[in-house]
Amino acid sequence: MSTGLKCRNCGSNEIEEDNARGDRVCMNCGSVLEDSLIVSEVQFEEVGHGAAAIGQFVSADSSGGATNYGYGKFQVGSGTESREVTIKKAKKDITLLCQQLQLSQHYADTALNFFKMALSRHLTRGRKSTHIYAACVYMTCRTEGTSHLLIDISDVQQICSYELGRTYLKLSHALCINIPSVDPCLYIMRFANRLQLGPKTHEVSMTALRIVQRMKKDCMHSGRRPTGLCGAALLIAARMHDFSRTLVDVIGVVKIHESTLRKRLSEFAETPSGGLTLEEFMTVDLEREQDPPSFKAARKKDRERIKDMGEHELTELQKEIDAHLEKDLGKYSSSVIRQLTQGKGETTASSPSTPKSVSENDLELEESRQFIEQSNAEVIKDLIASNEDVKKTEQGGVVAGIEGLRPDIEAICRVTQSDLEDVEKAKQPAQTELFIDDLNDDELDQYVLTEEEAMSKLDLWKNLNAEYLLEQKERDERLAKEREEGKPERKKRKPRKKVIGPSSTPGEAIEKMLQEKKISSKINYEILKTLTEGIGGLTGDSPAPNADTKPSTLEELKQQPAIVEEGPIAVKKGRFRPSYDLPGPSRKRPKVEAGLPVSQPVDEDVKSAVVLEGDDLDEDVEAEAEEADAEPEAEAEATLQDMLNKGGEDDDDEFGYGFDEEEEY
Amino acid sequence: MQFHFKIADAERDRDNVAATSNASLNPHAALQPQQPVALVEPKDAQHEIRLQNIVATFSVNCELDLKAINSRTRNSEYSPKRFRGVIMRMHAPRCTALIFRTGKIICTGARNEIEADIGSRKFARILQKLGFPVKFMDYKLQNIVATVDLRFPIRLENLNQLHGQFSSYEPEMFPGLIYRMVKPRVVLLIFVNGKVVFTGAKSRKDIMDCLEAISPILLSFRKT
Repeated sequence: MSTGLKCRNCGSNEIEEDNARGDRVCMNCGSVLEDSLIVSEVQFEEVGHGAAAIGQFVSADSSGGATNYGYGKFQVGSGTESREVTIKKAKKDITLLCQQLQLSQHYADTALNFFKMALSRHLTRGRKSTHIYAACVYMTCRTEGTSHLLIDISDVQQICSYELGRTYLKLSHALCINIPSVDPCLYIMRFANRLQLGPKTHEVSMTALRIVQRMKKDCMHSGRRPTGLCGAALLIAARMHDFSRTLVDVIGVVKIHESTLRKRLSEFAETPSGGLTLEEFMTVDLEREQDPPSFKAARKKDRERIKDMGEHELTELQKEIDAHLEKDLGKYSSSVIRQLTQGKGETTASSPSTPKSVSENDLELEESRQFIEQSNAEVIKDLIASNEDVKKTEQGGVVAGIEGLRPDIEAICRVTQSDLEDVEKAKQPAQTELFIDDLNDDELDQYVLTEEEAMSKLDLWKNLNAEYLLEQKERDERLAKEREEGKPERKKRKPRKKVIGPSSTPGEAIEKMLQEKKISSKINYEILKTLTEGIGGLTGDSPAPNADTKPSTLEELKQQPAIVEEGPIAVKKGRFRPSYDLPGPSRKRPKVEAGLPVSQPVDEDVKSAVVLEGDDLDEDVEAEAEEADAEPEAEAEATLQDMLNKGGEDDDDEFGYGFDEEEEY
Repeated sequence: MQFHFKIADAERDRDNVAATSNASLNPHAALQPQQPVALVEPKDAQHEIRLQNIVATFSVNCELDLKAINSRTRNSEYSPKRFRGVIMRMHAPRCTALIFRTGKIICTGARNEIEADIGSRKFARILQKLGFPVKFMDYKLQNIVATVDLRFPIRLENLNQLHGQFSSYEPEMFPGLIYRMVKPRVVLLIFVNGKVVFTGAKSRKDIMDCLEAISPILLSFRKT
């Protein structure tokens, strides 16, 4: 079968394509040009236990690679992307969910797109897949305006609807999808169908729709579940059309509590529309919109409170004022009387002496007191009356003003002096000693129990928590045992790797990588930083460091081979390692003894000697190797510094090799 | 129109605590702060921001034996199976402390900053009385919850539509609109009847700033 293709090897046009085997062979030279072609037919072959399809299935939306990742089977092809598997699974589950909700494939596709968006932004991490699928489907429902409620979806998926709601909010917020508010009208038809209204379903739902619209105008819907409004509207509408539907019937359909439904009904009854007759309601549209019922309730409460407060305060005040005035009056009258009587001369002074004058005096006193009291009482009465007027007008003003009240922002936010003082007071200076001067110790002593009481409470507590104490004891014992057995403590879970964004320069990338993860504890990262800086300097202005590259002194010449040898040490050590297992603590021992061999030029000879000895595979070498291992940081630092001082480029390379080997270990 | 923080919380508390002894107080004293305001602008009612709850944390900087604390105080409860800390309550100021083994203490339930401070120090003092080497460190207000009634209805749907990036309003889940303000970092629950709850504020100023920022917005979504 010639297909217009040319063989890569011989240039022949004779190319045979075998759909059954899925390969393409050159008939001239016999080379197989392509295998595992994608074909659109299925063929079966006989195998040991019956027939099997040849090849692997490739779905239309797979992006390539072997996708034979069947659920329940093990993964065959290694080329399958994990993401593809995830999306495939999501597609399957979302489609299933949509089918359960009687949504068409179109919705499933939209939901899947939402899922893909969420996936690409890593919003699926840490959330259950069922929640994500459900949230995607719900988002679709909301954007498309279907009559599905959150609870329907959580019902189908068997998950908590609040949890689902949280996921949905998070997703829609993160994906910046502006979702229209729920419209209770959407659900009318759906619920009406379930009320078994027969042929009049449409009429009833139209009436219900009108009622809901009216409710919306009167702001009854905000902050309320749409189902409650629908339930109330449907109940009214059904009764308007002579169906005997009870509260219970409606509750069964809309799934809200009876008291909620009753509340919605009574709220609707309180609106002016609720007061209309049936005919009026169907024909008249009231212009005026009502305040939300909760707002009206709050104002009513306010008014009552003000009224209560006013009355209560007034009577209280009246009493108190009376009492005070009485007291004042007592003082005042006596002084006045004294003044009055003083003018009359010695009678007051001598009054006690003569009984007659006393009676006269008494009479006078009595009269004057009466007069003063009377006038006072009148004044007081006037005062009280005027006071009451003030109160009343004030009260009326407040009541009237409530409707058109506006908050004054400046006043709302004005910080008064006392506030500032409070804040100052609350801000205790950062002292560590407890300041107790203003605390009442007696009061606090009440909280502290005596010894006997403490004992009894402890006993009581022990009884109550016997189970816990037992568990705790067992746990402690187990832990102690584990520690004895030398089991390593459980490692903490590593936090998830962060995604590193692209960087503009290689240097930056290295820096980021280093920040992200310390490759080895044996690398001196400070030096690495200076390394990249050095390179940058080299490329920029080369001559100065280049002059230094040539080893000029004998010392430096000596040093260089020593550094080069460093790699082999590490390699050998790495090789030996499996056969020789050093116990944990001893690894640290050489560290103490190790005196930075390379950093001191005097030790150079010793160091090279060690390297030579390395061929004998001695334990000494091992120790030395360990030593080298234990102190590589210092070594690296020293050598690197030396190198950098010289600025040798090839030295850098050398170092890099040795380094890599070390870090692999 | 004015906000009387002091009156809003301190006065009420005094009323609660000394309701019986109120009769002996001079009535003139109680009258004075209200009269002038009412006379100057009788049509403006007072919007008071009411602090509802204060959460403060501090550390006594020593290891605590929770079992001993529980057994030696009458106002505490400790059920390690349910909660790892001791819960200690207090009458005046009415607040609750969660005491942990590390010496870190959370004091909640206070009505204002002063109460929170006094309450915290009282808890520390109780621990001191039990013989722990108590310090008083890192005292910090963690959360302030406040409410205000703006007294006008608000169109939550429209607000949610226009401020979608900050707000979420799902009547199926919660009747209020949740508004996450970025600066100051405060979360508001806005209800249709004009009542607003602030939470997550670290100071009074946060709440003030927040109210200042949100008021014009809410005013523009006022239902007329």
